[in-house]
Amino acid sequence: MRSPRILEVWKLGTVNYLKSLKLQEKLVSERKDHRIPDTLLSLQHPPTYTLGKRRTDHNLLIPESELTKIGAELHYTQRGGDITFHGPHQAILYPIISLRSIGIGARNYVETLERSMIEFALIYGVKARAGHKCETGVWVGDRKIGAIGVRISSGVTSHGLAFNIDPDLKYFEHIVPCGIADKEVTSLRRETETLLPSEEVIHEQLVSCLAKAFSYDDVVWKEDPSLILDTHEDNE
Amino acid sequence: MALRMWASSTANALKLSSSVSKSHLSPPFSISRCFSSVLEGLKYANSHEWVKHEGSVATIGISDHAQGHLGEVVFVELPEEKSSVSKEKSFGAVESVKATSEIISPISGEVIEVNTKLTDSPGLINSSPYEDGWMIKVKPSSPAELESLMDPKAYTKFCEEEDAAH
Repeated sequence: MRSPRILEVWKLGTVNYLKSLKLQEKLVSERKDHRIPDTLLSLQHPPTYTLGKRRTDHNLLIPESELTKIGAELHYTQRGGDITFHGPHQAILYPIISLRSIGIGARNYVETLERSMIEFALIYGVKARAGHKCETGVWVGDRKIGAIGVRISSGVTSHGLAFNIDPDLKYFEHIVPCGIADKEVTSLRRETETLLPSEEVIHEQLVSCLAKAFSYDDVVWKEDPSLILDTHEDNE
Repeated sequence: MALRMWASSTANALKLSSSVSKSHLSPPFSISRCFSSVLEGLKYANSHEWVKHEGSVATIGISDHAQGHLGEVVFVELPEEKSSVSKEKSFGAVESVKATSEIISPISGEVIEVNTKLTDSPGLINSSPYEDGWMIKVKPSSPAELESLMDPKAYTKFCEEEDAAH
C-alpha cells in the first residue's frame, strides 16, 4: 500500500512576477530536500511579459522601453517555452512537485498539465484540445486558451501553466505568443456562454482538475499567503 | 510469462532494425520491460545520464529512457570547453515540450570537448542518445566516482522500478 499523496495548495492572489520566482526557487530547494510535500501555487500576475531559456526576444514586437508605458514588466526566465503574457484574470498554477516520486518525465508531466486544463474547460462546455506537435498548450480550434512553460531541476518542477479566464487580450498583440504566428489567443470568457462564477471559484476548479489529473489523494488548502510570502521576505 | 516472450521477440526485432540503421554499432543492447534500450559497457546515474569511460576520457550523454520521457528535444544548452563539471551538479539543460530539464553530471572533471552538432540538431539526443547525441567529453578528476554509478543491469531495474511508481 503506498502512502497517500498530498498536494498542498497556496492561494496567493496577485503576486509580482519576480517575487513569485524567488518563492518558487525556495520551494524547489525545500522540495528537493523533502522538507515540504508536493506544493501548488495558485495566483495571478500584474501585466508581465516573460521569455524562456531560449531568450526569443525577437517575438516581442514593441521596444522594451515601451513596456512601462503600457504598465507591463518583462522578465527573462529559465523555463521552457517562448514569449508569453501574464496578467489580471489569467489563472496561473505553479506546481512544485517531485516527478521522480511519481515516476514520470517531462513529456508525461506536460501532457497531464494539458489534460488538467482540458478537463477544466469542459466544466464550462468548452471543448479544448492539446496542442499538435511543437504546439504544446491548450487550444480551442486554432485559438490558444492555455499556455505551458516549465522548468525541471533534479526532477522537481517549477513554473507551470497559465489559463486565460478573461484577460485583456490586447496585451497579446505586442508579442508573437509562444512564437506561433497567425494563431489567435482566446479566453474562457470568449469561448463560453455560461455565466462565469467568481475568480476564486474558478481557480479552485482549475486546481481540483490538476489534483485529479495527477491522482492526488488529498488537497490541503492554505488560505493565508502571508505565511510563505512575507516569511520569505524576512529571510532576505 | 507471455509478456516476457513478447518482449524478447520485440527486442530481437528492434535489434535487427538497430543494426541496419547503425551498422557501426556493435555493442549489444538489452531491452528492459519499459522498452527503452540500455547500452552495455556504460555506467548510469539515477538521474539517467550515462558515462563511457575510455582511458582518460569520459563521454557523457542521456539514456534512451531519458530521451523517451523528455519528448522531442528542441534546444540544448551545454557548458564551454575547459569549464569544470561536478558530480551530481547540473552542467546544462535540454528543452522539450516547453519544459527545460537540467542535465546532471555523473562525475567531476574538466570539459575537454562539447558536441556542437547538438546546437543545430538537438534531435540527435532522441534519435541517437548513446552515439551521435553525446553531450560532453570530460577528463575525470576522480575516476573512483565511476564506481558508485549503476551498471546496465542495475540501471535497467532502476528504470523499471521508477516507471512502476507511476
